[in-house]
Amino acid sequence: MTAYTKGEVLLQADNVQLCFGNRVILHDINFAIKNIVRPGMQQGQVVSLVGRSGIGKTQLFKLLSGLQSPSAGHIYLQNNKTVQAGDMGVIFQNYYLFEWRTVYHSLLLAARQNAALAGKEKEHIDRYAEQFQLTEHLQHYPQQLSGGQRQRASIIQQLLKGSPFLLLDEPFSGLDVCVLDKVVELLLEVSVSDEFKTLIIVSHDIATAAAISDTVFILGCEAGKPGATIKKEIDLVERGLAWEKDIKQRKAFTDTIEEIKDCL
Amino acid sequence: MKKIFNPFGRISRQTLAVMITLQVIITLLLWHTASNGLIPTPGRVAMSFLELLSTKLLLDNLLVSLLLTGKAMVYSILITLALAYLSVLPFFKSIAQFIVKCRYLTLTGLIFIFTLLTKDGSQLKLSLLVFGIVPFFVTSFLAVILRIDKQEYELCKTLGYNNWQILYEVIIIGKADQVFEILRQNFAISWLMITMVEGLSMSEGGIGALLIKYNKYNDLTHVLALQLVIFLLGLFFDFILGSIRQWLFPYTKLQIQTA
Repeated sequence: MTAYTKGEVLLQADNVQLCFGNRVILHDINFAIKNIVRPGMQQGQVVSLVGRSGIGKTQLFKLLSGLQSPSAGHIYLQNNKTVQAGDMGVIFQNYYLFEWRTVYHSLLLAARQNAALAGKEKEHIDRYAEQFQLTEHLQHYPQQLSGGQRQRASIIQQLLKGSPFLLLDEPFSGLDVCVLDKVVELLLEVSVSDEFKTLIIVSHDIATAAAISDTVFILGCEAGKPGATIKKEIDLVERGLAWEKDIKQRKAFTDTIEEIKDCL
Repeated sequence: MKKIFNPFGRISRQTLAVMITLQVIITLLLWHTASNGLIPTPGRVAMSFLELLSTKLLLDNLLVSLLLTGKAMVYSILITLALAYLSVLPFFKSIAQFIVKCRYLTLTGLIFIFTLLTKDGSQLKLSLLVFGIVPFFVTSFLAVILRIDKQEYELCKTLGYNNWQILYEVIIIGKADQVFEILRQNFAISWLMITMVEGLSMSEGGIGALLIKYNKYNDLTHVLALQLVIFLLGLFFDFILGSIRQWLFPYTKLQIQTA
């Protein structure tokens, strides 16, 4: 098994609850994401949040991104800071970009929000554009991009903003097999770009999400209780099912997927 | 042939040109046939139109009207933008919404009050035009603000923008193309109103005053010729404003292509 240790808590959800009027959407959400340390390499964290359609994944996504405040409880980042909009890099399901800005201008606006890039914005944009194969599309408007190009532009935008957290809402939705493989590769690349880089993937594509994750949180309902909660946490590193390329072929992995499905 | 009566049917440019030409010919024929002693024939209107074009009278009056329309548009845009942008602040929201309701006020009932409030005929016409245009401008622009996709705000928030930065990016910059489109659409309103307000103070001239003069003497040939000038100028400005919009905001053209 690959050597690793789990360090400090990077994000913690503490008794989070979300209600709309009398309707309970989420209750007793408790989980923590810890820094995973692998000797001799930069290893970020990839966490998946899976659940059935309509269970409340998008609402939890909004709570984690700070776009929505919980009805009760807190979501903390390091140093006990409560999460606020702007703390996380957020990639929406439809890869929304400013339709009135060229890709370059959108990226520049994001880079300007990052104090660490002051004066070097263009340099970083060019570097990311090359890495993500978007150089020739920098002067295009979002309407001129394909779905995959929009997704890459969205990811670069949030990377330039500089948050260590990247929240992705259904990043595998509606992609064909070839593009799906590229997206998976891209996310893995991002995850190892920094020790503290943390990807939180909200998805109903359990197998693809789990294949690139180190931890899976299962969102589901408990008998007799209204609303959804985190029913189970599966540590894929502990099971030896993380950071391996052809993990989907292994029986232990398919068994784990079945276990997750049974939980939903 | 079947295609032109099919719902959502697509026709070639050539078919379109032939169809429009035929429609125009049929309309002119019907007009010519229906014309009696009172309603002038298309030929007489065309002759009168050409005669008007060659006179200094039309040009002078046209310049007066265009100048007044231009002034009224500038004031109306400035007032509309200020009100619309400020409408995101709760204090100004109710004021903007009141202005929207002012669409239901008729100008005729307010002419005397405006006469008392203004110094001369020129100011009276300008203020009436602005008062007439602004509620329609504000209505259109507030509708644009209300239609803004929630994700535009959310993207700004995730990028760490404060509320003023969101106002600048999403509403001022992001909707600049739509301000231009509103301007284009509402130019027709001001063009329509100009003939009405110019009748209130005829000493300065203008196409409205000219139209009233021709009407007074039952000179229907010149009235229709002048209407044709007004109509063609309206189409010309519509085209110019549309072209400027596409030049200033190239992404609007892309939206049309991908729609």
